[in-house]
Amino acid sequence: MRLSELLGCEVVDERGRSAGKVHDVRMVQDGPPIGQFGASLRLIGLIVGRHAIGARFGYDRGAMKGPWLLRQLAGSGSRSGRYVDWELVRSVDPAGARIEIAGSVDDLSPPEPMP
Amino acid sequence: MQAAGRVLDAGLKLLDRQLIDSQGMLAGKVDDLELTPSEDDPKVLYVTAILAGPGALAGRLGGRLGHLLERVSNRLRDTAEDRPARVPFGVVKRIGSAVDLWVAKEHLETDRVEQWARQTIIAKLPGAGDAPQ
Repeated sequence: MRLSELLGCEVVDERGRSAGKVHDVRMVQDGPPIGQFGASLRLIGLIVGRHAIGARFGYDRGAMKGPWLLRQLAGSGSRSGRYVDWELVRSVDPAGARIEIAGSVDDLSPPEPMP
Repeated sequence: MQAAGRVLDAGLKLLDRQLIDSQGMLAGKVDDLELTPSEDDPKVLYVTAILAGPGALAGRLGGRLGHLLERVSNRLRDTAEDRPARVPFGVVKRIGSAVDLWVAKEHLETDRVEQWARQTIIAKLPGAGDAPQ
């Protein structure tokens, strides 16, 4: 699988309700060693939302504050990003650009800001 | 699952970043990432390679243009496999504002298109032999 097959997919819950599209993929470096890089990167979650431009600049993740003008252009809606733990994912259909998750979109929290 | 290691968002911190080889030379860009399932649990995905060059970018472009770009890229690479040029993630040295590699670009698949252009087109231009390296 490629990362690009996940980006842009629509995430829907058990009742078919949309949480938005995948804007980014969160990784943690705790996998088995890979060459000289060290521990490999493991996929742990999806950053989803409805405002792609704000997400592209990271405004859907709390720590991003400025510049003021770009933040305004990205829109207050860019704060509507949600985090989907990878363990919630039930199926991925790259051809249909659709990812189904367990539970409800109402239970999804905003993504934690990156350090 | 609790994350114990370094956490990063691949789109923000990896995609479109410049690849820098062991000699400090530009070696392409991160156009996509190869995700491989764990042998123990197929749902667990690890990043195993950087995909770079026109063939990888084609996947993100999609449509007819992407398909055409992928076909041309595959023809230029000296391999029967229809896949983008890949840089094993094990040769990544550091992820920062660019992605530093442990190896020289000559040893990477991403250098194939540049080599082809250098040998097939640029070398045949009048005066190309006198050009400084």
